[in-house]
Amino acid sequence: MSAQTGTIRYPAFDRKFFDSDEDFTVIGGGELGGKALGLATAKRIIADSGLADAFAGLAVGIPRLTVLRTDVFEQFMAQNDLSEIADADLPDERIAHAFLQGELPPLIVGDLRALIARITTPLAVRSSSLLEDALQHPFAGVYATKMVPNNQSAINDRFKKLVEAIKFVWASTFFRDAKRYMRTIERDIRDERMAVIIQEVVGERFNDRFYPIVSGVVRTHNFYPTGPARHEDGVVNLALGLGKSIVDGGVTWTYSPRYPHHAPPFASPRDLLHNTQTQLWAVNMQPACYDPVSESEYLVQVGLEDAERDDVLRFTASTYDAGADRIALGTGRDGPRALTFGPLLELSDVPLNPLIERLAMTFKDALDCDVEIEFALTLDRQSGLPARLGFLQVRPMMVADEQITVEEAALHYERALLASDLVLGNGETTSIIDVVYVKPATFDAKHTQAIAVEIERFNAALVAEQRNYVIIGFGRWGSSDPWLGIPVTWPQISGARVIVEATLPDMNVDASQGSHFFHNMISFGVQYFTVRHAGEFAIDWDWLDRQPATVETEFVRQVHLDAPLTVRVDGHCGRGVILHG
Amino acid sequence: MVNRPFNAFVMAQSQFDKIADSLGLDQATKDLLRNPIREYHFSLPVRMDDGSFKVFQGYRVQHNDARGPAKGGIRFHPQETVDTVRALAMWMTWKCAVADLPLGGGKGGVICDPHNLSMTEQQNICRAYVRQVVRDIGPIRDVPAPDVMTTGQHMLWMVDEYEQIHGGRYPGAITGKPVGMGGSLGRTEATGFGVVFALREALKELGIRPQDTTASVQGFGNVAQYAVELYQQIGGTVIAVSCWDQEAQRAHTFRRKDGIDFAELRGITDRFGGISKPQAANLGYEVLPGEAWIAQDVDILLPCALENSITGESVIEIPKRVKIIAEGANGPTTPDADHVLRERGIFVIPDFLANAGGVTCSYLEQVQSNMNYFWEKDEVLGKLDVMMTSAFVAVSEMARKRKLYMRDAAYTIAIARVAQACKDRGWV
Repeated sequence: MSAQTGTIRYPAFDRKFFDSDEDFTVIGGGELGGKALGLATAKRIIADSGLADAFAGLAVGIPRLTVLRTDVFEQFMAQNDLSEIADADLPDERIAHAFLQGELPPLIVGDLRALIARITTPLAVRSSSLLEDALQHPFAGVYATKMVPNNQSAINDRFKKLVEAIKFVWASTFFRDAKRYMRTIERDIRDERMAVIIQEVVGERFNDRFYPIVSGVVRTHNFYPTGPARHEDGVVNLALGLGKSIVDGGVTWTYSPRYPHHAPPFASPRDLLHNTQTQLWAVNMQPACYDPVSESEYLVQVGLEDAERDDVLRFTASTYDAGADRIALGTGRDGPRALTFGPLLELSDVPLNPLIERLAMTFKDALDCDVEIEFALTLDRQSGLPARLGFLQVRPMMVADEQITVEEAALHYERALLASDLVLGNGETTSIIDVVYVKPATFDAKHTQAIAVEIERFNAALVAEQRNYVIIGFGRWGSSDPWLGIPVTWPQISGARVIVEATLPDMNVDASQGSHFFHNMISFGVQYFTVRHAGEFAIDWDWLDRQPATVETEFVRQVHLDAPLTVRVDGHCGRGVILHG
Repeated sequence: MVNRPFNAFVMAQSQFDKIADSLGLDQATKDLLRNPIREYHFSLPVRMDDGSFKVFQGYRVQHNDARGPAKGGIRFHPQETVDTVRALAMWMTWKCAVADLPLGGGKGGVICDPHNLSMTEQQNICRAYVRQVVRDIGPIRDVPAPDVMTTGQHMLWMVDEYEQIHGGRYPGAITGKPVGMGGSLGRTEATGFGVVFALREALKELGIRPQDTTASVQGFGNVAQYAVELYQQIGGTVIAVSCWDQEAQRAHTFRRKDGIDFAELRGITDRFGGISKPQAANLGYEVLPGEAWIAQDVDILLPCALENSITGESVIEIPKRVKIIAEGANGPTTPDADHVLRERGIFVIPDFLANAGGVTCSYLEQVQSNMNYFWEKDEVLGKLDVMMTSAFVAVSEMARKRKLYMRDAAYTIAIARVAQACKDRGWV
């Protein structure tokens, strides 16, 4: 029997799950939500294009999943009278707690129990909201995804953890960040309905951890092309372990799929060593501290030395040769490891990059727009093949095409508050009269979390008055690592229409391309400037400091200008300037 | 020819004999299973509210406990007979076996009419009953539960008496206790939900989409209400329900051809499952005679009220369109009516399979009580669904493979399991 959504019918959940012929099933009625719909589309495209087995030994497919459609969410809300508490301005933990007390609709619990009885490997419980992943409003990273190790010997325990994860993901529909986001896009939270994807986690168990050897994000448009690469060549981020490292804006390996042998522009091999991934995320297969209201309850972050013990560096790492000050391909010699993915990209044992290029091209053509694809890869640790690429998500990217020209000379105008030739976005803005900036004099990386809290307050006040603003700070905005930048979430700076990422001698990191945060900015048409302290262009801090402060705290200052700023960004050449007066 | 009164035990033995022959059971096994393995008959002297004493007759019958402790309710009924209790105990053995529960079958009864007894007197009967059987019941021997005219309150008095005597807490000695006092979440819904879990699987098997079906329901008590609620959730439409009118002393059927509004009807229903006739009429429901429920032009009939409601006479009223009958009540179909249903090829989910959700949840309550650790409702109902579905699948596969009527397939599985347990233990 099949269930129907619109005109497309999806097979109903089969209690045999892994033994079933169907790898994409549904439970309950209603809608699939954006993410699941994207995966259904991806499944069809992969099948139609012959990608599934286009490369010998390298299988491509959607990891097995079932979707609790939106009717189940609505029944859960109604049956447990959760609307009032969902609307209330309560801390996320309280909302999550209330949802965890709720009872699931009786018709789905048997299916969930049957599912969990047959599976003892980790599961990802992912949000798939009606409004999520729509082209204009990507909702990327706003709602929760929870991984469960699902390795307890008792079915009861596994069932309980799965149910808690589902309720947590539902609860995240009403978390503060989600509510702020909805206000930003002027939508009513009550319009939102949440489907949930329960999906096998692609990966392998290594000791007490479970992770894919490679996670990746492919974008068909590169906002920061380097070397010979062009915007339209696209860009790939690779990470060891779960993709959280990439989507949270952590340190990953970035390259153009057209030039897979070209390393990012590091100053030296030693610089490369210090600025590549040193930590990876994995599902924690050991008993964890019970914390059902935490998204990362079952996640663990470990270092490269653990990865080396797991024997997963053969295809992913190179070795720093201190004597010659060079990076040697592979792990054949002793020395510090650098996650360059060199063996995978430079040798032909595993045709990963050709597959990535073909994936990108296929999906760009099929969806007729630039796209962003997330995937996870497992491979034979000795020979590379057989390998399996699990296709996790596809989202359309919004790439502006309004023609704005910013000549190089314009970057040197006297009344330039700041200028950059590393700018993301496109277009002209002439309505902003507020600037919120992190004060360079008091900035210290150890205070980034406190700064994030202060900025959230500034943002809330400005959003309440419907005033957009320019925000200037140091390091990567939205980094989950507080030592690499200010760890805000998107809703905490949702009123910013121009974001400036500056560097300081003590906070000298590469520009952010963190998927979640980044994608939201693009979709909201936010202009994104990177200004390097040692570069050709600088920020006119003196001028800013001369403007009277509307509000000032220890780390942050807000100024309200007499005349609006003019923000011009040329998306084709990546130049931009903000002019005052 | 002498017209003998109906004897439930004779009927139960006759059903057993037929299946035992088809299974080729040896004589010793037949002899063992066609009679209870243990019976207790006792007198219950009880102090009445006026200070006098009255002696009531009580029974506890353990039909078979080869697969696990006996399980079955305790009835308070003025017309109780030991043969009725024996038959019900035997049916409990088959019901537990078809649901694949590690339990045997038992039943108990007291000849009394609770309508004429105060709560104190009923409590005295409960405690006297336990004192008589205290050595022969309990978590590892025989686990009683509520039944006709007994409730969670009666069970609580009984378990309290059991614990007073044993000097400890043994919540697993009796099930059907109130939630918070050793009862299980989900017990209230279990029987009705179980009926629909089985119905859902039958629809899958027949390739019918629930949303394309309509149903007529006999009864609007606990079982029927939860069955209606869940059936509507899977997409079905209930167009008629019948229930007993205590005032008029007769049944009515309430019909709305485009589907009843469950919440609306429940809002005008008393705690015994009686729907207010004038209020229903005001809401636009057609009020038809009580027996009209069976003649509705629907795909599914759900008899969830009384025994013997589909008889040789009423079975001819069933329209051709009816494809499935899920027996939520105990014994709703008489043997002659059953013969007609079989001939017509109607897919019958027999009572001891369809309504096994109740005993399944009782088993889950017992497990929780023994651990003194109680699960959330999600967990209880998840287990219930899986267990009911597995039981249904086993029976329908047997029916398909051996070309058996569903009722015969269910009996075959149940009796074979119990017989095998007796053999494995070396009893026969």
